[in-house]
Amino acid sequence: MEGKSIFTRNRSVPIFIGLLALFTLGVTILSEGYGTGALSVSFTKVLGMTLCLCLAALAMDLVWGYCGILSLGHFAFFGLGGYMIGMWLMTARTEAVVRANLAGNVIPPTEAEVSTATALQIFSVVGAEDWPWMWAVSDSLVLSLLLVVLIPGLLALVFGWLAFRSRVTGVYLSILTQAMTLALSLYLFQNDTGLRGNNGLSGLQNIPGAEGIGQDRISIWFFWASALALGIAYIGAAWVVSGKFGNIVRAIRDDEQRVRFLGYRVEGYKLFVFTLTAVICGIAGALYYPQAGIINPDEIAPIASIYLAVWVAIGGRGRLYGAVIGAAVVSLLSTYFTGGRAPDIDLGIYTIEWVDWWPVLLGLGFVLVTLFAPKGLGGLVDLIVRKDKA
Amino acid sequence: MSTLLEVQGISVTFDGFRAINNLSFTIGQPEMRAVIGPNGAGKTTFMDIVTGKTRPDEGSVRWGEMGHSLLSMSEAQIAQAGVGRKFQRPTVFEDQTVWDNLRIALKKPRGPFSSLLDRVSAEDRTRIDEIATEIGLAHHLQRQAGVLSHGQKQWLEIGMLLAQDPRLLLVDEPAAGMTTEERNHTTDLLKRLARNHAVVVVEHDMEFVRRLDCKVTVLHEGSVLAEGTLDHVMADERVIEVYLGR
Repeated sequence: MEGKSIFTRNRSVPIFIGLLALFTLGVTILSEGYGTGALSVSFTKVLGMTLCLCLAALAMDLVWGYCGILSLGHFAFFGLGGYMIGMWLMTARTEAVVRANLAGNVIPPTEAEVSTATALQIFSVVGAEDWPWMWAVSDSLVLSLLLVVLIPGLLALVFGWLAFRSRVTGVYLSILTQAMTLALSLYLFQNDTGLRGNNGLSGLQNIPGAEGIGQDRISIWFFWASALALGIAYIGAAWVVSGKFGNIVRAIRDDEQRVRFLGYRVEGYKLFVFTLTAVICGIAGALYYPQAGIINPDEIAPIASIYLAVWVAIGGRGRLYGAVIGAAVVSLLSTYFTGGRAPDIDLGIYTIEWVDWWPVLLGLGFVLVTLFAPKGLGGLVDLIVRKDKA
Repeated sequence: MSTLLEVQGISVTFDGFRAINNLSFTIGQPEMRAVIGPNGAGKTTFMDIVTGKTRPDEGSVRWGEMGHSLLSMSEAQIAQAGVGRKFQRPTVFEDQTVWDNLRIALKKPRGPFSSLLDRVSAEDRTRIDEIATEIGLAHHLQRQAGVLSHGQKQWLEIGMLLAQDPRLLLVDEPAAGMTTEERNHTTDLLKRLARNHAVVVVEHDMEFVRRLDCKVTVLHEGSVLAEGTLDHVMADERVIEVYLGR
């Protein structure tokens, strides 16, 4: 059990990585950019985005399924990651457009003029024309990528430190995290906060430096990046929960006071897991929104974080792959039912429009899973494995 | 024998109920002490105060040769300083194996990063095997703690206490749910530990206490009623009145 690699210690790791690699290969072969074209660009993006949601769900499983912290605010970190990379994408893209427009001028524009014109272009929609302070590093890809990790991490660190040292647990902590994501969302809705209020950041699918390359290729690049991130995170998460750290974290979930009497500072462990998972969510968001093309404050409304918990509950807590299955199944079904793909059912006196009825279906599914399969969809794997052994 | 724990004049009130009333208690290392008393005498509250779970309204709790106050330390810090506790109701991590339970109790650095990078050394393995043999769970190491019998859980918790290697052991009703043979084994183990540790045993079973053959402290309504050998305190008029109900 010890001294072996994570691939042999946790059997789900090689299986998961193998399936993910097969899936990536399959999508690539069927993609428009590099294969037969059976999968449309937009559907490739949906699949890539789904992988990012699976990544966020994996983080949710670490913090909730393993450490017992029912955070209902982790989507705030996801959104923040998106905003951080979005600032760079928008700045670089808009600047390129501005430069192209000014290129026809007799006198070449100065850098200051380009900067002013870019700011005007981005912020005129909220009646501003200057760069807000938080865009200070938006011209640097490296620094923006750093912020993707730092900002969600720092917010989680400060929030977690305040909450855990006061020993806020259980439903009170859940409510507090809901308040956090709601406050952040409401704050970002303001026009004068510097992130374009309810307009959000848009045009994120246009990747600077890749102007000549079509979305058919870019979509598959992001799909690859998302798959890679999910694969690495899965191995990392399996490693974190496999050793003594994993034992302690699960012990904290089951009886944190007992863990204190063993001499462990429970707060430090919770803070570590909370912050680590916030960073994973930030990275997932930074990969998601360039595929979505747009981010606005509605994305981090409290309901988004609740959905994250629902995915993990439906998929099955405390088994990593359960969270991934839950996120993939539910979010793909959600896309199917709310994206106009599902045919409406005409009952004569009433027409079931799935856009309206999907939440009801999801709620029903949640209740059914809770009642009849408390281990979630991932629990079905137990049945297979057990048959295997018998 | 030097003083390890010195509790001076502590009192604590819960909603007007005085659970501990001007209680003083001293134990050295090595020493064995049995604490007896009727329900509600404050035995568990006393342990809660020493381990940092409950803060007293007044009084002092001093620890070790330097006389550090335990009152300003967190539960985790107190445990790290060398206070180990076995609960009345066995509290083991049922979702994990016996081996894992012993591993997290093992005396090693307690920080998140040390735990993340912790490797099981040959020394750790030997220690866990020794403890498992001592507590009779050597053949159950890979079983989930949740499927153990009540007595085995008691033993596992005692094993976790051994793995922690504390200087002071607070043991709350160790013999509950054990067979006579197991009780004898427990007394032997506790007596052996008391050769170089400080051991406080809370117990209702007088036969068990007698076999421990140590100084006895009788608690009543949150303070010390009598102290001395078992025969001495049993002969005390007030003890007979409140404890033996005559």
